[in-house]
Amino acid sequence: MKGLLNRLVRIRRAMVEVRGRGPLGGSPLARAGIWMNLRHALRSLRREWQLPELRTLMLALLLAVLALGTVGTLSTRVERAVLMSAAEVIGGDMGVNAATPLPDAYVTQARALGLQTSELANFPSVAFARERSQLLEVIAADAHWPLRGKLVILGPRGRDVIAHAPPAGMAYLDHRALAALGLRVGDDVQLGGRTLRIAAQLQREPDGGGLFALAPRAVMALADAQAAGLLGTGSRAHHRLLVAGDAAQVDAYRDWAKAHLPADADLITPREVQQRLRVAFDRAGAFLRLSALLAALLSGIAIALAARRYARRKLDEIALLRALGASRGFAFGGLLLTLLLPALLAVAVGACIASGLAAAAFSFARDLLPPSAQHTALPIGPAIAAAGIGLAVLVGFALPPLARLAQVPPIAVFRRIWTRAPRRFDLLYLLPLGVALGLIALESGSWKLAGILAASLLGAALVSVALAATLLWLIRRYAARLHPALRLGASALTRRRALSLVQACAIALGLTALLMLAVIAPALLDNWRRELPPDAPNWFVVNVQDAQQAQVLASLRQLGATRLNALPVAVGKLSAINGVPVDKLKLHDREARDTADRQVRLSWSTTLPKANKLIAGQWFAASPSQPEVSVDKLWADTFDLHPGDTLGFVVGERDLTARVTSIREVDWSSFNVNFFVLLDAAHAHTLPHEWIASFHLPRGHTNALAAFSRDYPNLSLIDVDELLDRVREIVAQVTGAARWVLGFSLLAGALVLAAALTSSAAERRQEAALLRTLGARRSQLLLSALCEFALLGLIASATALLGAAAAGAWLASGVFRMHEFIEPWGSLVIAAMIAAAIVTALGLTGTRRVLRTSPLLILRRA
Amino acid sequence: MQDGIHDRIQLLSARKVGKQVEGPGGRLDILHDVSLDVNAGETIAVTGASGSGKTTLLGLLAGLDVPSTGSIRLDGQPLEALEEEARAALRRRLVGFVFQSFHLLPALTAEENVLLPLELQGVGHALPRAREALAAVGLNKRGAHYPHQLSGGEQQRVAIARAFVHAPRILFADEPTGNLDRRTGAVVGDLLFDLNRAHQTTLVLVTHDVALAERCLRTHELIDGQLA
Repeated sequence: MKGLLNRLVRIRRAMVEVRGRGPLGGSPLARAGIWMNLRHALRSLRREWQLPELRTLMLALLLAVLALGTVGTLSTRVERAVLMSAAEVIGGDMGVNAATPLPDAYVTQARALGLQTSELANFPSVAFARERSQLLEVIAADAHWPLRGKLVILGPRGRDVIAHAPPAGMAYLDHRALAALGLRVGDDVQLGGRTLRIAAQLQREPDGGGLFALAPRAVMALADAQAAGLLGTGSRAHHRLLVAGDAAQVDAYRDWAKAHLPADADLITPREVQQRLRVAFDRAGAFLRLSALLAALLSGIAIALAARRYARRKLDEIALLRALGASRGFAFGGLLLTLLLPALLAVAVGACIASGLAAAAFSFARDLLPPSAQHTALPIGPAIAAAGIGLAVLVGFALPPLARLAQVPPIAVFRRIWTRAPRRFDLLYLLPLGVALGLIALESGSWKLAGILAASLLGAALVSVALAATLLWLIRRYAARLHPALRLGASALTRRRALSLVQACAIALGLTALLMLAVIAPALLDNWRRELPPDAPNWFVVNVQDAQQAQVLASLRQLGATRLNALPVAVGKLSAINGVPVDKLKLHDREARDTADRQVRLSWSTTLPKANKLIAGQWFAASPSQPEVSVDKLWADTFDLHPGDTLGFVVGERDLTARVTSIREVDWSSFNVNFFVLLDAAHAHTLPHEWIASFHLPRGHTNALAAFSRDYPNLSLIDVDELLDRVREIVAQVTGAARWVLGFSLLAGALVLAAALTSSAAERRQEAALLRTLGARRSQLLLSALCEFALLGLIASATALLGAAAAGAWLASGVFRMHEFIEPWGSLVIAAMIAAAIVTALGLTGTRRVLRTSPLLILRRA
Repeated sequence: MQDGIHDRIQLLSARKVGKQVEGPGGRLDILHDVSLDVNAGETIAVTGASGSGKTTLLGLLAGLDVPSTGSIRLDGQPLEALEEEARAALRRRLVGFVFQSFHLLPALTAEENVLLPLELQGVGHALPRAREALAAVGLNKRGAHYPHQLSGGEQQRVAIARAFVHAPRILFADEPTGNLDRRTGAVVGDLLFDLNRAHQTTLVLVTHDVALAERCLRTHELIDGQLA
């Protein structure tokens, strides 16, 4: 013992020496800095990584990053691929389309910016060969065309060959043109008075941003067309200049071209083509983002619950550190680092796996995209963003319970008086709400989707807390009349009032999100599928003249066309809004400026067309005294139009000023003929116009349509079957992908349930041990637990049922613009009952485990 | 000579200290008009029935909380005038603790628990000192064990090593043998007093254990929040 004491005296002397030199005097913590915190955090982690709450926290974070990262990466890649495929359709990164040849300055400017250029023109022209003639859609292009996408011709051994426009003296004709003229490759054909040798059969070409024209087609050299005088004044040729190159330079050119755009010219950009495909992809993206968001929010709830439990566990430690003289910064900083280190690991792993899954999902959905778009690079930005958002979720949801630890006074080392201190409203508790709202707004890409989700989840939280509070009040009042075991279970909820409310709210939120994913999302997908019935219009016919309209429709009916719908179309330009000429308007929005610059297609109808919904104002009066106009919501939003405003249009040589009497919401995914601007028929029918019709014709009628096309050589037929097929495929693929994301969300939901149910595990273990020590039977305790969890499950699932149903109806009409949505009540009720049973069963499982453990062991551990 | 100077230096003094808290039944007087002086090197015991305010007094004297009325000076510093961070710095420098329920950090080994006060002070190369302190309580072979792998008596010995490792000038002990059986309690009590003597540390002990209290130089009894 003496030696021992001597050793201690030596230590003391060493300490005094150290103190004399001063390192202990000033602010040693400042010197030790972050390293000491880091060392402490690493030491704590060595043992604490096994804690269930830390594992829950990390797993939840991993799932959030996985869901957000996978969907984000996939959406970005698909978006890029869609834009690229649109560029292929145009034949360049952008184009300028004009009714007259474009000035040389357009080419000079493009070359000055280092862009590639290609000039072409398209026009109808009658071809002659061996006594036969056929009207063809001719593209006359220079040797550089196309700059993007592929011109495919049939090569020598029946193989497809990628080519450019033919040299002078040569032409490519498609199969229908060859058949109609009775020609073969190698024969001559007369086009515009020039004899051209047919060099190859044309298989596929970029169609310039229109859809898939099925009029017989031919491609010839631009020089031949010019020499033949086919492009001169008075010809029906449309001229086009295509450019391609670096994205920034293309943008610069776009701005320049717009500033110098002649009155009869239009810009063609990738965003403006493939509108319907974009609608499909946008909707698909919204589904996936919805699922990913819910997974992230569920993870947030699991994180909040786990952090709350972790905070309770760390309370004694923080109090002790404070008593031993640790600064608040050290005590709290160490705690945050303990969480941050594994969190960083979790988000890094999550981001990597997300990129991998997105790559796998992309290759799975690759066939939906054109071949060159299949090789877009894997973007890493979204995975990194998901990791950042994951950390924001961690901070947002974990900080409020943990931040209270920063206020733990050192005296709490003696007793937990702090925990009993009355709680004041803390602004910090608004943090998860803020993070959740920010997340929803950021990820949904739509404020409406964000609002609906936020309101549904907030509503579910409030309803669950209100229901639980009412139930707790009822229990307190009437518990005395219950069976003793039930009373025990019911009163367990009232004893831990705050915890019970948190549990009910968390489970309700978890179940709401799960029901939305498991029942509402598939129902929405089903609805979407129903919107594209097998007999959806798959053909469009354009250029129908007024005089031939009735005859054309009759011929189409004879061919077996169904769902025939014809609307007049006049091409004009917006000239003024509320009397102010368009060029004097201060349009800050690029979209608005672009739309004002473009030609606008006007139509008219006495009745509201299908797939249109009035959202403001009144439909046209029977015979209005002044011209009236109805605009689509997108147009109204672009120009900030309201009923009562006036719009001026120039159509041909006529001016028309009409008052906005209604705003419509158009379902652009419906495959009907739709217009942004509709005029009242009484004033518009005298405008120079043509007709456009849509109809459904079963596949296999190509020959009949070829005859129809010959009978009406001025018409253009457009086939949207391929587009319809792709949209249908997208729906199918989205359903598959949604299942994957749903899987993450289900796991996150399971985590929430586990975290919520285990949040009261320690207290229940203690109570059960005490009650068993006092002689309570296992069956009594099980019955008590059954009562407790059944009540919790009931409150949560009832709230979730209402929340999910409300959100479903709201999402269908507000976000996905579905006209009819049948609420899947049967599935919802069954799913809610299953959820309540699962909550009860999980709770009972935990209790059975407690009952299998010796009460002595539990009491000793306490 | 050094000891003699220590004996005359007043390390801790409390003047008319009172503590009131708001409880569910209204305002509660836990302590009132408590005055006490403790010189450097002294050992004093505060005894009293449960609920008499012993632990509250200990917390106030150690600067873990501030009194509602009156004044406490530790090493000449008026505790009630200092901010919590300044009091934390004072505790880090001057104070050691032994608690009834040991209060070891469960995620740290015995050795790391002992190391903690040295690290909080920013002492470099502290590990040999922590090991010596553990050896001084006879647990040199248990350094790598976690608290849950140690018995109650062993945990309290680790707590004692932690309390002395940074050579505090004053040690506050709250029922140090309260959670131990009589035999283990006696061993822990011996260790506490032996080390206290070796370090010439001032000791303020709160206890129910009459035998332990009698080993102190002075004993004060607290009855209903007042010193008898």
